[in-house]
Amino acid sequence: MTNIAAILLLIVSLLLPVSGYADDKHKPEEKKPIEASQGKTIYDSWCAQCHGYKGDADAYTKDVTLPLPRDFAFGVYKFRSSAPGEPPTDADLTRIIRKGNPGTSMPPWERFSDDEVKAIVQHVKTFAPDVFSSEAKSIKLDNPPKSTPESIAKGKELFNMAKCVECHGKEGRGDGEKGWQADFKTDWGYRVAPANYTQGWELRNGSDLVDIYRTISAGLAGTPMTSYLDSLKDDERWSLAHFIKSLQLTRKLGVALKVKKVESLPVGTDDAKWKDVEYLDLPIGGQLMFEPRNFTSVITNARVRGVYTPKEIAIMLEWTDKQPSKGADNIPQDSARIQFPVKLVDGAERPYFYMGSRKAPANLWQWKASDDNKVVELIAKGFDLVESKEKTDISAVGTYTDGLYRVVFKRALNTGQEGSPAFMVGKFIPFSVTLFDGNNAEDGNKSAISAWYFLMMEPPTPIKVYVMPPIAAILVFALGLVMANNTKKTRDQRKKKK
Amino acid sequence: MLKIYPVLAAVGLLISIVSVIRKSSFFNFLGILILLFGLLKSAGLFIPPFPGQVITMYMAMSIFSFLIYFSIQEETFQAFLEPMRAVLGDEDKKILRVLIVFIALPLLTGFITYTKVVPVYEPPVSARIVHPEPPSQMEFRGKTINVIGLENPLRKDTANFAKNVEDGKKIYYQNCFYCHGDDLDGKGHLAQAYNPLPLPFRGGDTIAQLPESFVFWRVSKGWRGLPAGSGPWNSSMPSFEDFLTEEEVWKVSMFIYEATGNKPRT
Ligand code: HEC
Ligand code: HEC
Repeated sequence: MTNIAAILLLIVSLLLPVSGYADDKHKPEEKKPIEASQGKTIYDSWCAQCHGYKGDADAYTKDVTLPLPRDFAFGVYKFRSSAPGEPPTDADLTRIIRKGNPGTSMPPWERFSDDEVKAIVQHVKTFAPDVFSSEAKSIKLDNPPKSTPESIAKGKELFNMAKCVECHGKEGRGDGEKGWQADFKTDWGYRVAPANYTQGWELRNGSDLVDIYRTISAGLAGTPMTSYLDSLKDDERWSLAHFIKSLQLTRKLGVALKVKKVESLPVGTDDAKWKDVEYLDLPIGGQLMFEPRNFTSVITNARVRGVYTPKEIAIMLEWTDKQPSKGADNIPQDSARIQFPVKLVDGAERPYFYMGSRKAPANLWQWKASDDNKVVELIAKGFDLVESKEKTDISAVGTYTDGLYRVVFKRALNTGQEGSPAFMVGKFIPFSVTLFDGNNAEDGNKSAISAWYFLMMEPPTPIKVYVMPPIAAILVFALGLVMANNTKKTRDQRKKKK
Repeated sequence: MLKIYPVLAAVGLLISIVSVIRKSSFFNFLGILILLFGLLKSAGLFIPPFPGQVITMYMAMSIFSFLIYFSIQEETFQAFLEPMRAVLGDEDKKILRVLIVFIALPLLTGFITYTKVVPVYEPPVSARIVHPEPPSQMEFRGKTINVIGLENPLRKDTANFAKNVEDGKKIYYQNCFYCHGDDLDGKGHLAQAYNPLPLPFRGGDTIAQLPESFVFWRVSKGWRGLPAGSGPWNSSMPSFEDFLTEEEVWKVSMFIYEATGNKPRT
């Protein structure tokens, strides 16, 4: 009896802190009907830090964002569905507030109610009253024609004929040489680069077909991206949109890269062997832990592939860069690093994911854009203590074609050198990637980085996988046969007896 | 997926009941096993699911004990074995025999063997304590601070409350929003590059559960201050003592509470 009482007491006491938690719980504020004046209150709380209390973008984030937040008082609006020269419609402003501008610091605001967004839109318009004195009309955006191989081919033709290629580059990666000119700027005075169509997650105005059609038709006011409403016919603009949409990559995200065994390593970056191996996409972002911090990084993705032989491993990195730099005119060189722990240990512990630490150093393979493809092997004991090794067994080849960097690193699985980890087949080996865009002044710790991922050299499938299951099945079959025979015999005998 | 297990349990129960009425101990045995398996799996709907090993062990024990139960008396045991014998030897059960004994069972065994011998490669996962216990003392740029009982000195300055929060807002949008988000929802525009993902501050289950001394320690020391159980080697949370003064850390702490409508735990 006392035992049961004790158990009950224990259960009740366990419940106590739990109900205490519930009392602490944050109570959501009640929603009241929205008045227009509330637009200002919300704007001041949630937009002014970037767009400025006076709507002039003179705000807290002006040195740490690029593109800069919009100066609403200036009166030019990039993201419209209206004809060039006209203000954006309320629906345009609402759309940008709801969906944000991907690839920039303008976030999607999903938390506000429709009435609240309406009030914000009214408030934003008060910063440029003259611009909004006339009502704007949206151009026709519905009824998109179906995308077909023919419409995509036609779009590709138009892409060259209408000279989109001069800015957006042959493969649409935003690497056209026109964009490299020093005066390639917006009306607000900061540098801008043509869009990279292949990375749909970066398209400011949205990556859906209708978004692309809207961009081509209305243009992005204030930027070199002009409207093609008058110069191209409706179906031509849709074909262009079909073509651009067809270039978008699908990212394959995950935690581990499978490295396949091959007879011999691929030769260079163009080798067809690379097409047969799985890849992994790593999201890339600015390094923000150590000075100089990289608030306005531009590289957003690295694609990694790997293959190995019994002796060597080859890893290919692939990323886009709109303008290459080999280090002329005091502009830093574009560069890539792969990082591994110096010591591969079992368990979760590893070196700090950016440049290791004094206790757990990192081993880095560094390639810089140059004519001789020189590779340096680094040992990093923290962001502030990096040494290059005198001798290295690593080699690399890098190419830059149509806005795409591809670099292949090669190394022996086991170099026998101190500081270079020996790679074992079947083990999960942590790695991370650091990239530098020289034209974005990236150098040293001002870099674009990934988190830790794993690569795993897949062992060949053991023979027993093919052999054991059939043997087991046959054995059970045979056993069944014997048992059935025996049972039948005894049953027959019993029947006869009866 | 979990929702089919109660159905499975019900089917098991039905089989048991029918077989008790029809006095077929073999199907009774099958029904009870199905019922048990369904129940054990259904538990996952209400409490954290039992690990697979526990269920396997429990099922093995059940099979064993029910077999003992049914085999205590020779007569009942013979009755128990009868359906199996019928399938194996009866002339009129030929089709059933081919289907079960010569097709289904060999295939099933082959499949089970395959799942046992095929090598599976799973990357190591590490459990992570999100809000570890802070130390009782910490160094801030060489100055020793007692974390236990530490309070935000600026909260006493009620006259300058609004100004301090506004200063905190500026600090937040120059240092933190890239990761923790413009809306303090953990969805900053650079957040997805990092793993673990930056934490949100909105909602009652984030900073509302933490005393402000914790926030001060966590912001000041960042990844460097984390114990091994929290995986400091993966954390992108900077040590903000490198960039901010003590007062600035308190200001930004006030802002993240104010902006989310949360209060520090006391
Ligand atoms: C963290 C900074 C930030 C915050 C906070 C922010 N924005 Fe923005 N916003 C930007 C940036 C940057 C752009 C420009 C993107 C570009 O030019 O590609 C922008 C663009 C816009 C545009 C598009 C203007 C155009 O030219 O078409 C609108 C409208 C807008 N913001 C409204 C808002 C509103 C309303 C809020 C508050 C609810 C807000 N923003 C909060 C950074 C911010
Ligand atoms: C003079 C250079 C130039 C030419 C020519 C040009 N563009 Fe652009 N385009 C740009 C720039 C610059 C941007 C990016 C603007 C920004 O991000 O603010 C851009 C952006 C875009 C975008 C993406 C907008 C987004 O959501 O991020 C699309 C789609 C596009 N252009 C299509 C075209 C097409 C189609 C053509 C040819 C019919 C074309 N462009 C011609 C400079 C150009």
